[in-house]
Amino acid sequence: MENAAPSSRTIVVIGSSTGGPRTLETIFSRFPRVDAAIVIVQHMPLYINSSLCRHLAKTTRMDVRIAEDGESVEHGTIYVAPSDVHLKLVGNRTIRLFDDEKVQFVRPSIDVAMTSLEKNGGDRFAGVILSGMGSDGAQGIRHIKAIGGVTLAQTLRTCAIHAMPRAAFETGKVDQMLPPEGIREQIIRIAGTL
Amino acid sequence: MTEVPCQRIMVVDDDVFILEVMKELFEPEGIEVVAVESGDACIAELKKGFRGVVLMDIMMPGKDGWETIKEMIDLDLMEGNVVAMLTAKDIPDGELEYIKEHVIDYITKPFEADEIVTVVKGYLDYLA
Repeated sequence: MENAAPSSRTIVVIGSSTGGPRTLETIFSRFPRVDAAIVIVQHMPLYINSSLCRHLAKTTRMDVRIAEDGESVEHGTIYVAPSDVHLKLVGNRTIRLFDDEKVQFVRPSIDVAMTSLEKNGGDRFAGVILSGMGSDGAQGIRHIKAIGGVTLAQTLRTCAIHAMPRAAFETGKVDQMLPPEGIREQIIRIAGTL
Repeated sequence: MTEVPCQRIMVVDDDVFILEVMKELFEPEGIEVVAVESGDACIAELKKGFRGVVLMDIMMPGKDGWETIKEMIDLDLMEGNVVAMLTAKDIPDGELEYIKEHVIDYITKPFEADEIVTVVKGYLDYLA
């Protein structure tokens, strides 16, 4: 990717389900402060939202917090989508949370978050699919590729459950299949450090 | 819900050897292990107030692991617990996908002792 204009955003959306938390902890272990906003959509019970944030915050230099309705995304921050609501990025800038019906049995849906991104003049995107059951995220990966983003998925042999990255791969729109350490390095390379 | 650091796990497996191995692995770490051989026994422990990490075998006679989790959801016994599947079966693709939000991990047997202790300690910390 070429460097974006100063007013633009680099947005990385990571979709993750069963087996995802420990993969996320590997990705964000000793993770530097990067020039991107990272949104994590992890299927999980509501009562462990803050625990996941706490775990990720232990090792990364990024700010980590549960996404709140109406806040603007900032570079250097990881936003964890709260359970039981869908998350969209309106205008690629503002987090909005919606209490809509579950999509593919889940809320938040990775597809809903990824497909809310819009192609515009300068914003850059990356979509990442990690371990999990089902096919949530496949549509999202197709969308991110269509708007010019980079698409990554976890290698099947490193997944606790490989259905989600496999479904993403089968769209033919995944740029690279990588182990967690490779995903980490690729996100850093795409975003650049602050 | 849990105010004190949680150091309890429940292993649900009809294989008594697995139950014994888990005790040998976790009890020296100061982690209490509640070992039960069936989904019904798991539900009974939850009704008695167990809160912690639940390591659930899938293939068990009678109520299997997925049915047990569904019952946990129906009886509102999920909160305060972290559930991971513990199984020799490889991949459950598409199976009972509607409860995937409640299953944090999928640990395949045979497992490395160090790895499972590290992973489970991490999930215990989620409940601290």
